[in-house]
Amino acid sequence: MDNIDTFIEKFITAVDFQEAVEITPDTVLKDLPEWDSLAALGVIVLSDMEYGKTITGEHLKQVTTVNDLYQLLT
Amino acid sequence: MATSTLKNVRFAGMATCVPKHVVHNVNDVPPHLRSERERLVRNIGIETRRVCPDWQCFSDLAYDAADKLLNDLQWSRDEVDALIVVTQSPDYLVPATAIILQDRLGLAHSTIAFDVNLGCSAYPFALQILGSMIASGAIKKGLILLGDRSSYKHKDPLKDPLFSDAGTATALEYQEGAPPMYFDLNSDGSGCKAIIVPVGGHRNPFQLEHGIARKGDDGFWRSDLDLILDGPAVISFSTQRVPPMVEKLLGYADIPKEDIDYFIFHQANRMINETIRKKLGLPEEKTPSTLREFGNTSGASLPVTVSVRLRDALVAGKKRLLFCGFGVGLSWGGAIVDVEDAIFPELIIS
Repeated sequence: MDNIDTFIEKFITAVDFQEAVEITPDTVLKDLPEWDSLAALGVIVLSDMEYGKTITGEHLKQVTTVNDLYQLLT
Repeated sequence: MATSTLKNVRFAGMATCVPKHVVHNVNDVPPHLRSERERLVRNIGIETRRVCPDWQCFSDLAYDAADKLLNDLQWSRDEVDALIVVTQSPDYLVPATAIILQDRLGLAHSTIAFDVNLGCSAYPFALQILGSMIASGAIKKGLILLGDRSSYKHKDPLKDPLFSDAGTATALEYQEGAPPMYFDLNSDGSGCKAIIVPVGGHRNPFQLEHGIARKGDDGFWRSDLDLILDGPAVISFSTQRVPPMVEKLLGYADIPKEDIDYFIFHQANRMINETIRKKLGLPEEKTPSTLREFGNTSGASLPVTVSVRLRDALVAGKKRLLFCGFGVGLSWGGAIVDVEDAIFPELIIS
């Protein structure tokens, strides 16, 4: 299983940030400028392809921080 | 029973028509929106789209495709026994566009003409509908006119970076001993709200207030008349349902993946198409794409991809194709079709 640092690297690729951004486990997703519908699609694909988990938009609405997302996916 | 086989039906030809006007997803939007659009384009894989001007309908594109295909096939107009229009962009709510096209194309009054309301998933369904009529022996030759003016569902063509317009014609005919066509077709109406135009039908008739637009976070104005697309729901549906369906169809037909020359998927967006391709373990060269230049042309994206990417290969010799459509409905299906000596006119730009 990926550790949180590896997960964050994959998360950054999936969301495709326009400009470099520092992300920690405590980063609040809603505070990220690119946390939008496109980012949601990227994370749904990441979850499916890397972690074999099917998640929906509803799951994503229930998570607050990057660590919450890590817990959900791994 | 979603799986089926049709015998004695020959794939005779296909023509595709797109409008002249090209919209660029980055360069044509206001400068302050371009950086965000570049990120979007990188991920959805759609750079340019073909968009009808106000006067041009789906049926105009379909007419041009059908006219060219009939001429190249050298079919006389009174030989066409059935004309099936498959679109969600009819000329009018009433009557059916197929009947209008029967007259425009100069087909006989004895032509069976009707519309089918399917979108992104439409192509395999359409082959099954017309193919069944031919396989039964009831008719000998028929046309499927399939496509959409999807860009108009958002009124302002810049507003939505996905949708593009196209009209296509496919000809099928009766031929004893033609290779079988195999199908797997599915529907799940519980997902009807994932892609919906909620206003304008009988459930929510149009009222004046529906026309009032509100400005969204992306700077574009939207009203209740615009298409609503639930991106997360659509990507989950597509990437979960499509790969097992393709595997099931191959299993039913008893055809190994390696024996399919090309897999022609609905061109939805790059993230969806790449996920499906990787899940099925298919090489890129077997999954041609037209997303970058032609965007998501709804059900027409399969014929667009064949006409643009596979024409030379199909003219050169016999090929086995697997068509796969998925989307609005929710609806998804696949068809395995052997194509040999069929007519493929060059892409028509109208």
